[in-house]
Amino acid sequence: MNQKVFKLTAFLLIVCGVSAFLIAYINDITIDRIAAQNAQALQEGYTEVYPEASEYSETEYTGSDAAITDVVSAKKDGQEVGVIYTVAPGGYGGAVLTLVGFDIETQKITGIKVLKQSETPGLGGNCTQPWFAARFAGKSAAQPLKAVKTETSSDQEVQAITAATITSTAVVTGINAAQADFAANYANR
Amino acid sequence: MRIGKEFTKGVIAENPLFVQVLGTCPALAVTTSVNNALGMGVAFTAVLVCSNLVISILRKAVPSDIRIPSYIVVIASFVTMIEMIMNAFSPALYSALGIFIPLIVVNCVILGRAEAFAGKNAALPSIADGLGMGLGYTLAIVAVSSIREILGAGTFFGYHILGSSYEPILIMILPAGAFITMGFLFAGMNIINRRQAAKKEVM
Repeated sequence: MNQKVFKLTAFLLIVCGVSAFLIAYINDITIDRIAAQNAQALQEGYTEVYPEASEYSETEYTGSDAAITDVVSAKKDGQEVGVIYTVAPGGYGGAVLTLVGFDIETQKITGIKVLKQSETPGLGGNCTQPWFAARFAGKSAAQPLKAVKTETSSDQEVQAITAATITSTAVVTGINAAQADFAANYANR
Repeated sequence: MRIGKEFTKGVIAENPLFVQVLGTCPALAVTTSVNNALGMGVAFTAVLVCSNLVISILRKAVPSDIRIPSYIVVIASFVTMIEMIMNAFSPALYSALGIFIPLIVVNCVILGRAEAFAGKNAALPSIADGLGMGLGYTLAIVAVSSIREILGAGTFFGYHILGSSYEPILIMILPAGAFITMGFLFAGMNIINRRQAAKKEVM
């Protein structure tokens, strides 16, 4: 009996050890490429929400809003022309990681892009769709936005995704956090 | 000849979803659109074939008392490795299928086939079994998702097919719609199987 228990334990230990070794090995050869790919996806996201700039450099975020995770300044010919915020408001199924671009000259939202989300596929998951992002482009950065269920009647309103009010509100909350910081620090002087 | 039979049995006669009623949890979760279902089906088939192959090779070495934990370790390691390799070397494929990969670990069809088939058969039939079961599962979730997407969103494969005047039945793409659709499909499958069984008895 004891011998059998020992044999079984040893076998499982070997199976787990070999598996762990293989995973560690694969992780080792893929980790750099995965990091590079994520960085590239981020760069592509920056170009998408603020296409005009030629250079993106991270700046330090000094505010206290927990929803804002990163601030990147978009530069053209060395001049700061726009700001891109990375916000992570809580949605229906976790954080909705979103990029928001603002233009300093026009004081408007240039674009948004949802990078990572775990909302319900087919409902809140539609927040990654270009048609939802298009509802934000060109909105004024002077006042907070509001998600509404009907057709929009003013510039401050954004139509929510049907049957995904929580997700829509989350995206709007994140954008408003960025908007508040933008209005405080980058308003036309 | 036998290998061909191992392949075809998974499609209808032993369909993993409709006949064995395995893997229903991911089938409920990803069938909101045909696109998602197809992605899940492809990723699932790849993992199933790989895990069947490895388990059939190891089948003589694994003591039967601890075969289940051993299988789970093999399957989970496989899924993790496939996810990392896909993420690193094929980002386009990863962005399409990546969200389904962790779901595959909890798909009991994989463990079910390891236990029922790959643990008792040689490598080649096990691969055929994996391909057949993968195809059967893919067809089944595509069937569920077609009904849900057409009724719930008015689209098929993302294309509008019912015209703009069609008001989508939202419940169909909510979780409740998955239960309703699968209930009707299971019932239909039962009727077909019962009729066939009755026919055999008469003969």
